[in-house]
Order: sequence, then structure tokens, then C-alpha cells
Amino acid sequence: DNVIRSYKYSALTFLPLSLFEQFQRIANIYFLCIVVLQFQSIPAISTLPWYTTMIPLLTVLSVRGFKDLADDLARRHSDSQINRQPCDLLTNESFTSVQWKDVCVGDVLRLHKDQTADLLLLTTTEPHSLCYIETSDIDETNLKIRQALAVTHQELSSDPIEPSLLAFDCEEPNSHLHSFKGVLEWRDMRHLLDTGHILLRGTVLRNTRVAYGLTIYTLDSKILQNCGQTAVKTTQVERTLNKVVVGIVLLVLLFALLLAVGAGIFEARVAPGIEALAELGGRYTPVYKVFLTFWGYIILLSPSMPMSLYIRFELVHVIHSLFIGWDLDLYDGGVDVPAHARSTTLNEELGQVRYLLSDKTGTLTENRLIFRQCCVAGVLYPLDLSWNPFSCGGLQFSDKRLVDTLRKPGSPDVREFFKALALCHTVMAEWKDQAASPDEETLVGAARELGWVFLSRTRDSMTLSELGHRRQYQLLALLDFTSQRRRMSVLRDPEGELKLYCKGADIVILERLRKDSTYCESTEKALEQVFSQGCLRTLCVAVRSVQEGLWEEWSRALELAAMTTGASDDLYDNMERELTLLGVTAIEDQLQVGVPETIATLRQAGIKVWVLTGDKKTAVNVGFACRLLDPGTRLLQGEELVEFEEQPELGKRFIALSRQCQAVLCCRTTPSQKAGVVQLIRKYTSSITMAIGDGANDVNMIKAHIGVGLNGLEGGQAVQNADFSLAKFHFLRKLLLVHGRWSYRRISVFLRYFLYKTSSFAFVHVWFAFCNGFSGQPMYETWFITLYTVLYTSFPVQCLAVFEQQDVSAEGSLRWPSLYQLGVGRQLFNPRLLAGTFLYSIYTSLVLFFLPLSVFCFSAIDFQTFSITVATASVFTSTTETGYWTMFNVAAIVFSMSMYFLATLILHSPLLHTIAPADFYFLAFQNAFASPLVWLTVLLTTCTAVLPSLAARALLLVLNPPDT
Amino acid sequence: MMASGYSAKEEDGHLPGASGAAGSGVAKSKKPDNTAFKQQRLPAWQPILTAGTVLPAFFVIGLIFIPIGIGLYVTSNNIKEFEIDYTGADMSSPCFNCSQSSSWNSTWPCRCSIAFTLDQPFESNVFMYYGLSNFYQNHRRYVKSRDDSQLNGDKSSLKNPSKECEPYRTSDNKPIAPCGAIANSLFNDTLELFYIDPNGTRTQIPLMKKGIAWWTDKHVKFRNPGGTNLNLSTVFQGTAKPVNWHKSVYELDADLENNGFINEDFIVWMRTAALPTFRKLYRIIQKKSNMTPTLPRGNYTLDITYNYPVLSFEGRKRMILSTISWMGGKNPFLGLAYITVGSVCFFLGVVLLIIHHKYGNRNNSADIPN
Repeated sequence: DNVIRSYKYSALTFLPLSLFEQFQRIANIYFLCIVVLQFQSIPAISTLPWYTTMIPLLTVLSVRGFKDLADDLARRHSDSQINRQPCDLLTNESFTSVQWKDVCVGDVLRLHKDQTADLLLLTTTEPHSLCYIETSDIDETNLKIRQALAVTHQELSSDPIEPSLLAFDCEEPNSHLHSFKGVLEWRDMRHLLDTGHILLRGTVLRNTRVAYGLTIYTLDSKILQNCGQTAVKTTQVERTLNKVVVGIVLLVLLFALLLAVGAGIFEARVAPGIEALAELGGRYTPVYKVFLTFWGYIILLSPSMPMSLYIRFELVHVIHSLFIGWDLDLYDGGVDVPAHARSTTLNEELGQVRYLLSDKTGTLTENRLIFRQCCVAGVLYPLDLSWNPFSCGGLQFSDKRLVDTLRKPGSPDVREFFKALALCHTVMAEWKDQAASPDEETLVGAARELGWVFLSRTRDSMTLSELGHRRQYQLLALLDFTSQRRRMSVLRDPEGELKLYCKGADIVILERLRKDSTYCESTEKALEQVFSQGCLRTLCVAVRSVQEGLWEEWSRALELAAMTTGASDDLYDNMERELTLLGVTAIEDQLQVGVPETIATLRQAGIKVWVLTGDKKTAVNVGFACRLLDPGTRLLQGEELVEFEEQPELGKRFIALSRQCQAVLCCRTTPSQKAGVVQLIRKYTSSITMAIGDGANDVNMIKAHIGVGLNGLEGGQAVQNADFSLAKFHFLRKLLLVHGRWSYRRISVFLRYFLYKTSSFAFVHVWFAFCNGFSGQPMYETWFITLYTVLYTSFPVQCLAVFEQQDVSAEGSLRWPSLYQLGVGRQLFNPRLLAGTFLYSIYTSLVLFFLPLSVFCFSAIDFQTFSITVATASVFTSTTETGYWTMFNVAAIVFSMSMYFLATLILHSPLLHTIAPADFYFLAFQNAFASPLVWLTVLLTTCTAVLPSLAARALLLVLNPPDT
Repeated sequence: MMASGYSAKEEDGHLPGASGAAGSGVAKSKKPDNTAFKQQRLPAWQPILTAGTVLPAFFVIGLIFIPIGIGLYVTSNNIKEFEIDYTGADMSSPCFNCSQSSSWNSTWPCRCSIAFTLDQPFESNVFMYYGLSNFYQNHRRYVKSRDDSQLNGDKSSLKNPSKECEPYRTSDNKPIAPCGAIANSLFNDTLELFYIDPNGTRTQIPLMKKGIAWWTDKHVKFRNPGGTNLNLSTVFQGTAKPVNWHKSVYELDADLENNGFINEDFIVWMRTAALPTFRKLYRIIQKKSNMTPTLPRGNYTLDITYNYPVLSFEGRKRMILSTISWMGGKNPFLGLAYITVGSVCFFLGVVLLIIHHKYGNRNNSADIPN
């Protein structure tokens, strides 16, 4: 059974599950409680009828539900597409086509391209049962070799469909992509299985016609086990918002309590004198009345809770993300890739980044490698572009002396050097474009151009053409390159001599050289002075002649280690010593377009740029080249980072120190250390961190906080794990300075405004309580309360959140990077400003109530007209508060106001009143809006309510004139 | 999140089905559209707003509001209003005895009259109001105590009023019509106005009791059960009068158009006030001819049939006479408020202008790094 089920709901479970999920939000629970209170039969509590809360709540729940449903249907669709793919299954001695979902553990499959499950490779049509798989979805290197066990290869290759008695035993399903342990039992023989025999789901067969595999894990396959582990990231603004919501609840409780106390006093002092009130409330004791009033005001003030805020917040995020994808400036025509916001919850944090952590290779640089120089046998062969007879274009390096030396017989060092380049790698001869690493591809290419042509490779041999002579080498061992290690090949050449070729970073190789190694000094000098000055990436190449006895002993030990522990690093170390240095290669990796300018701009914007990289010397030079470093910049090495992890107080001091630094360069970091640095910053500062990288080695770092992945050459791994993906590093400038700043600004303004609009409207009830004996009488018609947030005021604030770009245009944002400090310093959404917002909303509610009160106390105006006046002023105040007027804003305001008048006209219509007099008891529209006094009061109230914000805005405008 | 990412990735190219579909068509460029909306270059009016255009706005608002305010203030001042408190809380008041004796269940109407003088003639139509203070007509329990269906002429509600009317729902096991506390507490003082000629003769001033309610109330919201043509006493048969009333709802007026639920005094009372102290329209004194003022200068007496008790809640009862203008009755506050807000705007404009000249230019050059 291999049915993928990533969808969550079925027809039956959708409603309960969706409701269960939605009621995990505190706001929804709160409103559910309010609705329950309103349904209570105690009329004294339900100050507002049930529909005032129910309708908005249902709207929010259903919008949310539909979104979830749509997502789930999309998942279902994608699931069924995957499940219905065909594959060939061995049944009764022949292969039949079945769908992916019908594959079970133990099935034998015939593979052409995709793997439906984790499979044990049995045999392939290729020689030695080799096969090549593309793993770009899983890790960094593109092509990998997999090989069936010799025993299955031999037994099955003759007649691949003969079913045999196979038994295998393997470890429990887990998520480790790079390890596997198992045993295959075959005719009473036990054969160890490791990751080299396994085809993982998610990998693609390449360069292999047909492979046969035995299903090991189906739904437990390793890639699926890796899914669903990412934590949902929430932004700082959202966390503040949650606190604000709790604050509003507390405020409502406080108000309700105070008003209940007022009610107690009123009931004791005033109410007994008024016959009607005394009679009406006669049944209850005063204490009980106070209790009822408390709950009544909880309900009455509940509209101040921004119920629909969360869903609108999400919508705004989605629109901002779309804007990022739509931006032509972030579109790279060369590779036809627009920017993409994979995560739609982090937009405003783009405007608040204080630390930018960047990978170097492929992120700051192009990762298009050019072989520039080499130093062989202590002789430096420098760059000379004037002479280039090779048409391939890949090699810009050429030196007449070198060519002469090569052709001249008797220069073993030089020849050995190029032989090493041609032999020590994992490049496939047939797959020139898909080398495991771009470095290796460049080096093999260079060797080819100079006469050492790598022709083909089999499972245990490699064929070269050395200056025209074809030679076959027997491949005894090949150790893969990892970020911590170097590459090693052990070969037996046609003459029978055993040789070990090794290449790796300078520091690794140099410490493993033979004591009496020649050219060491001159090579180091070249490394120090020439290569690193030119921002060149260097690899040292070394060789060792291995004695036959040593090899046999070592290979036995290796086999034993593989059977038992699997840890063989020590063994590798034993082999990789006593090396003889052959030379150094220098590859240039050019900086991407606009990198120095972008870094300079970001630094002006107050963003601290940290570069985390695996190498050292080059990193420093790249740092200078891209204006990251000034003389005197601090350098940090991997060994030192280990100390920070071990000693927390050191880390704290380090971060405190780095706050003083404009830029930090961390050298020789491993991928886990990169993530560690991010964690360190997040632990000791509350700042927003962003990590940008392009390769699988950056994934840990990218996952740690806001991650940006570059669509680079190193596969899609970084992009898969990133929150935003870009094609070029320099797009970061617009993403942060324009989109980020705008998002932060818009969302801050939107949230503050939303809070203002709901609370100013609801707080009017508090002031009205002082005039109606704290009885819980609503100021507004119940229908108005119901529709206020949903219909009357929602569109302008939504437009504000989408179009607001009031202060500075996109060009301005880029021209004055220091404006970015607004978001870094949280200047638009902080407790102080929120307190200001609440004070302003209290001011507005005071104006909304007391101005009409003062006007109408001289006239014979009834409650309904008074209520409509306050309501109209409230709608006007809430909708006109827009600073940036695009046609959409204007349309939204016109629409909102028309909706208000239209809905009021309908709700006050005689017809509705005749049908249901109790629900549509307001019948004041005609008379109220025919009265000039009402209009004059609305105008006065609205102007007075918005005057402070207008003045504040004008003051800002006067002090900081916008420059277009 | 990851799961969907995974499947999205699968769709990107590795699925035979998906890649086949993508491969069949011409590869479409992913280049975003160059539209004003997508590139966020919508034309907007804000960026051209500078100090030079915003500051005048303050002066303009000020210059609009101040004249409106002056106009309102002058209009309000031209409105003549006369107010007299007839509560009788004072020993010296002619209504003192009535006020002390009045209660809801007193059967004998108490009468008193108060003399007053109008110093100026009231031209045009004069509105006569009664005012109550400290009477919480906006208290929630009170506001809810009514049955709009019953008042709308619904026959089943007539016989079986809403529970909201409790404890004024039934009386002697008969449904009360109109039910509820609001109806029960109907203002039932009768006010009559007499002009005392200089030679001492009393002339009763004709008071219009129709036309004081809203048209929508009279024709839509309030309807007698069973239409208008039937005999109201039979329609209301089997119902009880509100306990505080002295007569039944169908005895409120002899005029069939002003009786029962559509009695205008009743309608006006049922349209509850916004504040604890309020006034309600009682009668209209229509202008008779162009030659004489509606209410000439001179002495008047107000004859009160004193039924409505207010002393228990320290309430006051007033009679107000007022001429009206386009903006309604006398309203000094609105004009002053407009003048104040207009002046504040003007003042803000001046302050901002000073700031603009003092600091604006300097910041302009200092704030923006090049």
C-alpha cells in the first residue's frame, strides 16, 4: 500500500476538523463564548442579539473554511496525480503496469525514471549493475552512482524476471537520507546493504535504461519522513498583535467591571425612584443585576475585539507576496525566473532585517568557474588571456611555458598533476553538464584541454587518453567529497603501481604532506600572495605511492569497519598521509553583478552583513572586493565557533561585540556551524535575521529564520527550504528596501488602523453607559454593529494595507537606504505607538459620543436619530482615514459609504419592519437623513475626530517633505 | 507546509503527466506582466501632497467652518425659546399641591395654572414641547419593554403580547394593550395655553395635536389592529388598559385618525429619547395670519392637568415654546462648536506654517543622505 494522503479532510471530517482547527485561535473561542452568552435565556445579559456576533463569526469561519478546503482539494488533486502514476510491477513472471498507490513492500519493480518508493537496487541493464541517479531534490550533488550488490547482479542479470527467494532485513524507517543499514539474505549468505545500494524516492534514474528494484519502504520512505518538520514561522508583528488582543480582552473585562460597579450604584440609588425601572428589575437582587450587567457589557464591548483581523492579515500577506512575484525588477530574464515568496507569512519582517547572513559561493559569486592559474612543482603559471587556441571556451587559462613543459618529456611533476586532475573526481564522461561539483567539472575540463582527456568510467576502472595514449586505470577506492573531507581516489595504473590521489582545501592537504615534501614553501607563497589576492578558489592536489601490503591491510580494515560500525573516518586519515604535493589549482569565481553596490546599500540601510563561508583566504578577498570589509574587520574561524557553542557566556559576549561591528566574516564554517551562528544571533538579540544561500549546505541556515534561496547552479535544495527565492543576489536590495519596507509599513499601519477602527467604535458604549444608567443599552442599531466590520469599513482598510506607499516611492526607498531603519527600529508597530493608537481611539470615541450629545441635548431628537448620527460619523471617521489615494482607495471608500447608506435604507425599510417588527425596529432613516441638524453634526463630529491624525500627518509632512 | 512543497516540486517537472502537459505547449515565459497594478505604480494623489498643499487645507477647513458656525449661531439666536418649569417642587409654585398629591393611582385629576409673560412676540409656527428630566427613557430594561408587533397591528400579539413586556404584559388575566413599561408610563399631563389680553380676557390658544409624529411612525410603525375603519372598542375588546392609564387606548381621542395605537401623543412617547433629560413635541401652534404674530407679546397662563408624578426620582417637568428654523430648535452649542473647530484648524494651520518655515527647509537638506 503506497497511497499518498497529504490531504486532511474527507467529506465527513471536514466540518468537525476544520472547526476544531479554527477554534484553536483565541479570538474565535472568545467570540464563540460571546455567542453562547447571547443565546442564554437571561435577557439581561444578551445586550446584543445573537446575530451581531454570529454573522461576523460565521463569515470568518466560512472564509477560513473555504480556504482550507481549496488547499485540501489542491492537495487531493496532487496526491491523486502522484498515486495514479504507472509503474511496472513483477507479477507471475511478467511485468504488469500498476499505479503507484498499489505498490507494496517486497514488490519487485522495473524502473525507468522515477522512484515510487525507497528501493533496493537489484540489477540494471548497465554493466556491473551500475546506475546513475539524479538527487537534486534531496541534496547538493546532482548525479550519484548506485550499484547493485555483486551477488544480485550476477544472479539476476542473466534472467532478470526470475523470482527468487530473497529475504532482507533493514533498520526501522527513518529520515536520514544519507544512511541506511540492512542485510540481504540470499541462499544462506548475508550481504550487507548500505546507502549505495538504495534508490530513494524522489531521485530520478539517469543514464540507465532500466533498473530493477525491490521495495523496502513505501509510505515510510525517507523523503516523506523528511516532510512536515518545518515549524510554522510567525513574525514579530504577529506576536505583538497576539499580545494586543489579550490586552483588549483585559481592557474589555476592566471596562465591564467598572460599568458593572456603576450599574450597582445606579440600581441602588436611582432606579428605585423610577417606577417603571423598579418594576422591571424587581425580580432580581442588586448584586445579581450587577453580575448580569457585567456580562452584558462583555457582550456589548466584544466588537472591539478585531475578529476578522487575523483572516484579513493573512489576505494582506498573500497580496504582498504576489506583489513580490509580480515585480519586474526581481525578474531575471536570463533564466526566466521571477522572485517567489514561498512563505506568505513573513513579509513584514523583510522590512525589519538587522542581520543578513550570506553564503559566499554561488550567492555573492556567480559559481561559474574559470580555471585561471595553477602552480605546479613550485612554478606559477599565471594568467595569460592573449593566447587561447582552445575553442571550448571553458578554459581561459593558458600559458605557453606550461604547454611547452607538458610536451617536453621528462617533467613528471606536471604530468602527474594533470593526471591527478583527470583521475581524482566523480565526473561522468557522458554527462559533461551534470558533474557532481562545478569545481571538478572545471578541473577535468582543464585537464582535457591540456591533453589529459577523461574518456570513460566503469564501476572499477577509468580510462584516460594521456596526450593521445589510451590508458586504463583500475579504480580500487573512491571516497566522496563532503564538506568536512577531501576527495581521495586509490588507483592501480596499467603498470601495476598503486597510487593515491587526493585533492582538497589547502589547509587540509598541507598538513598531510610528507616532511621532506618539495616545493612546499613556494606553493604556500603562491597561495598566500598570488592566488588569494585575485579572489581565486584553490585546491591542492597531492599523490602518494601505496605499498601493496599497506593497501591490502587497509582495505580489509575498511571492509570490517563497514560491516560493524560504518565509521571509517579514522581509517581514511590513516591512508591520507605522507602525501607528496603536486600542485595547486586556482579557479576564479566571479562576483555576481551588483554585489558590491548591494552590500554597500544594505550597509547604509543599517543591515549588518555577515558572510559565512567554508574557506578563508578567498573569503577575505571576496569580502574586500564586495565592499564588505574595511581594513580592520574581524575574522572568525570555525574552530572559534565551536567554542561559542560550548561556552554560552562567550557567545553572549561575542554577539555583544558583533553589535559594534558593521560586518562579520565567518570563515571555515561547516553547514551546521552556519545554522549555529544564526541561532546564536537569535538567542542573544531580538533582531530579525535573514539568511541567504544557494546550496544544500545553506539549508540549515536558511531554515533557521527568514530564508532566501537563490536559484543557483547547486540544485533546488536551498530554494525548496527558503521562504523567498530570488534569481540574483542584488535583487535583495529591492526585496528588502522596497517590498520589505512597504510591507512593514503597510502592515503596521493596517493593524494599528484596524485596532483603532474597532475600538473607537466599540468604546462609545462605555460613554453612553453614563447616560443610560449603566444598563447595557447599545449605542447603535444591532444590524449596524453586525455589519460595521464586515461590510461598512473593511474595504478601505484593506486597500490601505495593499496600496499604501505614502511616504516614499520605490525609487526613493532605494536612493535613501537609511529609511529602512524605520522597520529595524520597529518604529511603526511598538507598544508606545499602540498605546497612542488606543488613546486616539478613546479620543475618537469620546468625540463620537459627546459632540452629538451636546448638540442634541438642546433638541427633541429621539434615541434612534441620535444613534444613526453617531453611527454615520463613526463610519465616516473610519473610512476616510486614508493617506494614499489611488483609484482603488477611492473606490473602496465610495463603495463602503454606499453600502452603509444602502444597507441602512434597506434595514430601515417599512417592508422589513412590517415583516419582523422586533428585529427591524429602527425606522429612522428617512427622518434622520432629512434633517440638516443630523448632517451638520455628522460633519462636525467627523472633522473633530480625524483632526488630530490629520494634524499629525501634516506635521510629519512639514518636517520630512517627501521627495519624489 | 512541507508536504505541499513536496508535491508542488513534483509537479514542477518530474511527474510524467505534469511534464507532458507542460511540454506539449510552447514554453511560456514566467516574466511578470508590466501593469501599473502589479508593478505598484498606480497613479495616486498623495505624493503631490506637500506642505504647500496640505497647509492651505487647514485654512480652508477653518474658513469654511467658521462662517458655518457664525451662521448657525446667528440662526440659533434668532430663534425664540421660552421654557417654564411646572414641576411644583417649590412651595411657592402654584403646582406644589398637585405635585405632592399626584401619584399613578390618584383618580381625581389635580389642576393648577402658572402665569408667565412673553417679552417678545413669537412669529411663525410655534412648537410646544414638554420636557422631563432624570427620566431614564434610554434605560435598556425600559427600552426593551414593548411589543413592536402589537403596535404594528398584529392581532395575535394583541391577544398574546411578547414576553418582553413583563411585568406589564397582562392585567387581570387579560393582555394589556399596549403592553410594556414604555406605554404604561405614558406622559399624561394635559397642557393648555391661554393668552391674557391687556384688558384681562383669557383667550385659549388653539393647539394642533396632529402632525407631531413622524409620517413613517404614524403610517408604518404604528397601526391599529384590523385596519382603520373598524370600531376600535370592539377591536380592543378582551384587552386590558395599561395599569397606570386612566382610560383605554381606544379612548385617547375622539378622532378616529388619532386614536388607538396611532394616537400621536402616544407615538411620540413611544419613540424613546436618547438621554435621561429630554423634551418631546407636544403641540403645534400654527400661524394664523401674516398680520399678527402667532404668540404676541404679553401675559399667558399655562393650565396643567397634573397627573404625572416625577418627584420620586427628583425629576422636573417643563413646558417649552419655541419657534423653529431650518436647523430645528434653538441650538447655541452647534454654532459655537463649529466656530471652535474652525478656529482650531486655522490655528493649526498657522502653527504648521511657522514650523514649515522654521524647520521644514533645514530638515529637507539634512535628513536625506546623498
